[in-house]
Amino acid sequence: MSISLSRPRALAFSLPAIIAILPFLGACFYIFRFSISADKGVIDGYSIQAYVDLMTPFFGRSVWLTLKLSFVATIIAMILAVPLAFLLTSLKSPLARRCLTVTILLPLILNLLVQAYGWILLLGPSGVLNSTLKGLGIIERPIFLLFNETGVLLGLIQTSLPLAVFPIVSSVRGLSQEHLEAASSLGASHWRTFVDVTVPLLRPGLVGAASIVFAFNASAFAIPLLLGGRRVQMMGVAIRDMISPLFNWSGAAAAGMILITLTLIVLVFASWLVRVTSEEVRG
Amino acid sequence: MRVGLLPTEGKSTYRFTVLFLATIGILISSLPVVVVTIMSFSASDNTGFPPPELSLRWYWEVIAMFTQEDASSAQSVVDSTVTSLLVAFIVMAISTLVCIPLAYALARGDRRIREGMELLFTLPLVFPLVILGIAFLLIAESLRLEIGIWRIVIPHVALVLPFVLRNCIGAMNGISVETEEAAVSLGASPLRAIWDVVIPLMRAGILAGLIFALIISFNEFTITFFMYTIDVSTLPIWMYSRTVSSLDPSTLALSVFIIVADVVLIVLVDKLIAGRANLF
Repeated sequence: MSISLSRPRALAFSLPAIIAILPFLGACFYIFRFSISADKGVIDGYSIQAYVDLMTPFFGRSVWLTLKLSFVATIIAMILAVPLAFLLTSLKSPLARRCLTVTILLPLILNLLVQAYGWILLLGPSGVLNSTLKGLGIIERPIFLLFNETGVLLGLIQTSLPLAVFPIVSSVRGLSQEHLEAASSLGASHWRTFVDVTVPLLRPGLVGAASIVFAFNASAFAIPLLLGGRRVQMMGVAIRDMISPLFNWSGAAAAGMILITLTLIVLVFASWLVRVTSEEVRG
Repeated sequence: MRVGLLPTEGKSTYRFTVLFLATIGILISSLPVVVVTIMSFSASDNTGFPPPELSLRWYWEVIAMFTQEDASSAQSVVDSTVTSLLVAFIVMAISTLVCIPLAYALARGDRRIREGMELLFTLPLVFPLVILGIAFLLIAESLRLEIGIWRIVIPHVALVLPFVLRNCIGAMNGISVETEEAAVSLGASPLRAIWDVVIPLMRAGILAGLIFALIISFNEFTITFFMYTIDVSTLPIWMYSRTVSSLDPSTLALSVFIIVADVVLIVLVDKLIAGRANLF
């Protein structure tokens, strides 16, 4: 006798969760339908006017800024995440490991406002950094790091770092000890092992982590809103402005579709890259 | 010989570089939280650094905000906190109740269906939050829905489903069919076997999912920023509207309460799923 899950029972067990996710799927469909609506305020007829109207230098700059900031933030986050993952996996004491895990994970979970307050206190005109530099006599007037691209970049790196570290940690755990030992016993230096053995073995994990970090940063909203003010118009903030002062619903929906398409292209490209490179390693 | 990724011996540039970059990473992750905590103890009225003196006055201020009636503001901090907690607990209950049977069905069911469903339930994780906020706002506005607190609960449930489901599936992975069969062969009905045997074994994963749902919903800002109304607003929105022009130290003291609660809950999750599952 064995337990087999009959089809009606499997369906009955899945149904509540499917109902719970339906509003999400409805929202995805709704935003698509609104973006091709002929009316700016309600869904009515079909038109691509909303997309055509977006072809302005202003929106183009916003897309470019979004791609640029997300790309730079992703690169820096990856450069910091790999050493953090190495450190996290080589810590012996469970307490130290737990502390480091909480420190890295907290920025992803914690209320974004609180973190923005932290950056404002750190980088503001009378903040920690400016006061310290002034106290040391390095600068005379405060340097402005807030409400420009630097502040937003730091915020993006901080909040997306956990998304990079934890996937890399699971790839590092899966790393074969034999390869590293072989490289070391053949006399390769640490750097040589890192470049020629560790990175190629980790590559699928690295590409996967980077693509998630990029998608997360490209769709960031709270960080550019709170740390960039009106001056750093990343797409998330630009889309909000179409709704809130302008009531251009179909325009916002169309801009949203463009943002989703951009992140999807990156995710699909990354998974293709993972497939190609992992075949290369095996071949 | 065990070769570590982080060599323990000697003064190599490799070891130095790895540790140096990891330190920068730790600083970027933790400095904002550390500075908020330090400044919340400042005795001064402004947020200039360094604080001239340390005091607990802003903490007393926060306690006073919660205990005294404040008729001046439209939405008091007490109301928003109650709404935040109510939303978080409803989200937690709904997401867990729907994910436990689904995780069971996926673990015991067809493998291809399982992969497809896991993909479907990962979507909210990669979907831009701004777009989700706008989409839910569009639906609520154009259908003129008067659903009170549910206008925040429904989007939050979608948002936490990936985390809760992952934890429940992770918990199911460790439970063999034989355990269930043993219960059934001893005379239990299949449903009873699930209730009495499987669910108790899933406990740690279910708890981890519960806590994840609670912290994500309680800290959520972006979607709520689009969905809140004068009557239904959460604590992060209250903090935003209070600090939109300038930052005052009592908000920092309130932030420290939130930080402490989050850290405690994350440590709990980490303990519950220690070594058995990935956080993502």
